[in-house]
Amino acid sequence: MSKEPVIELKHIGKTYFMEGGLSQEVLKDINFTVTEGEFVAIMGPSGSGKSTLMNILGCLDRPTVGSYILAGREVSHLSDNQLAEVRNKSIGFVFQNFNLLMRRTIADNVSLPLIYRGLSDKTRREIALKYISMMKLSGNQDRIPSQLSGGMQQRVAIARALATEPTMILADEPTGNLDSTTSDEIMELFTDLNKAGKTIVLVTHEPDVASYATRLIRITDGRKEYDGLVKNYKGLSK
Amino acid sequence: MLWLIIKEAWVSISSHKLRSFLTTLGIIIGVGAVVLMVAAGQTVTLVINNSFASMGGQLVMLHPSFVVTSGIKSGQRPSITSQDVDAVRELKGIEAAAPMVFATAQAVYGANNWTAALRGSTTDLLVVNKWEVEKGEPFTSKDVKSAAPYVLIGATVANELFGFNDPVGQIIRIKNVPLKVVGVLKSKGQDLMGNDQDDIIIIPYTTLRQRIQGSRIPNRVNFGFIKISDDEDMDAAINRIKMLMRSRHNIKTGGEDDFEIRNMTAMVETVKTVGLVLSILLASIASISLVVGSIGIMNMMLVSVTERTREIGIRKALGAANRWIMLQFLTESVMISFMGSAIGLALGIAISQIAGSILGYEVPISMWTLVLAGAVAIVVGILSGVLPAYKAMHLDPIEALRYQ
Repeated sequence: MSKEPVIELKHIGKTYFMEGGLSQEVLKDINFTVTEGEFVAIMGPSGSGKSTLMNILGCLDRPTVGSYILAGREVSHLSDNQLAEVRNKSIGFVFQNFNLLMRRTIADNVSLPLIYRGLSDKTRREIALKYISMMKLSGNQDRIPSQLSGGMQQRVAIARALATEPTMILADEPTGNLDSTTSDEIMELFTDLNKAGKTIVLVTHEPDVASYATRLIRITDGRKEYDGLVKNYKGLSK
Repeated sequence: MLWLIIKEAWVSISSHKLRSFLTTLGIIIGVGAVVLMVAAGQTVTLVINNSFASMGGQLVMLHPSFVVTSGIKSGQRPSITSQDVDAVRELKGIEAAAPMVFATAQAVYGANNWTAALRGSTTDLLVVNKWEVEKGEPFTSKDVKSAAPYVLIGATVANELFGFNDPVGQIIRIKNVPLKVVGVLKSKGQDLMGNDQDDIIIIPYTTLRQRIQGSRIPNRVNFGFIKISDDEDMDAAINRIKMLMRSRHNIKTGGEDDFEIRNMTAMVETVKTVGLVLSILLASIASISLVVGSIGIMNMMLVSVTERTREIGIRKALGAANRWIMLQFLTESVMISFMGSAIGLALGIAISQIAGSILGYEVPISMWTLVLAGAVAIVVGILSGVLPAYKAMHLDPIEALRYQ
């Protein structure tokens, strides 16, 4: 059976227009497709445009040219509010600095995106508890983030990303703020999620982190320089 | 989803209790001040109305002129006599005319004594001043003619001299003159000036002038209290009184009146208008603090938006449409305004009630004030929240997520 394409990028380009008629082309003619169940790492040095690419993939930004079909829908020209809806339905974000609401409980944090789906308090809490348990955080649902370690906070963020049952998990340097042991734990977690069928796109500049993925896309100077299996790329080892 | 956004707004406010409270402070003070001023104004109006209710109708006071300018023809100073007042009573359109003699004296009953205001008059005084006799009977005009030793006492005098006993039929002494209590007046309470209206003894003026004061000009009175019929034109009646008095006092054409006719009703209207204007003025000044309070909310909300830039970015990234962000902040603003208004209302009412009971005045609570407070809350909340909500909803999520 063939897997559905989740992401289809065709001739994606992004140019920033600045004052004085200056412009900067940050992404040039990016093309690739991600199918369901893949674990992709996007790597590149700083200034390579990988952050811009991630923002476009996450529907936080729009490309200047090109087509982006996400879960079968063309999203490159949607309005802000339409993009918000797409994010809510299809993207599960995991950020480097966790981005939790520090004054709210873990349960509230996990169920936050579900508010924008209009789900009732009861339903939201049920779903939240399910994913809190899946992330092995049971018992912490009424604590606040500052009472948890960095690794646990990131797991809360992952639970939040899973709660909407999105088309893909989009992780931006998810281990950037964690020590190496905890980093490994989190990356193992991603591996498990991927084995269970979750599509994961990971953006990072660390080879150790990227090596957990199966496919590697390397961006340099706004262009795709490599697109293939992680294990075939010279310079990476597990 | 609307309900969920409102809940989010509430959670946001209650997770920053101190900041929320400080934000509402301006509104609390503003609304409280306005409520207090309105209550003060309404109390003054109520007291005025109550005081003057005991007069009611078209009232006029006739008294000797206080300023003597054109020399005294007959060597006597200007005065009003009981005959003057009797003559006025006969005029068209006059319902009652009561002569008034003022005095203060000590009344004695057995071992008790009490100094009260003495009012010498006729039974017309009961009509003019709307006194009712609660126990016993008033004295009659025959009693006035014969300077009978009868008195009507007010509730306070009855209390002080007789306690729980029935005063009717008992004999009291004023300046050693024995006087029979024929009736007790119905209680009226305090007047506009804070005086106890029940601390009074009404006695035939003849009895007062002749028997108690032993005057050689017993017909001279302090002034005449005149009630004009309700369906009579007041100015025309006053003119008639003036003509009569001029002729009685032999004042030649072009000469000055040696008396004054004071339009009490006009005075009351003036006092009421002044009271109203004062109330409006006070309330307007208090409203300025409301404007300040509103600016305070807007300020705090703007700061709040900046502080919560990252939070807004997170919400947007997770799927909050612009309108939900705007609605959340607008709701927070309205909620803060509402809470401030409610507290301000409660405080304003509480303080005005306490002040009222200390000073001895009844302070009315009007529905109007409640409605006003509610309306202010909503309007101020929305106005103060518009700018911050607009700013929040237009934050770029990427920039916002990067914000430290």
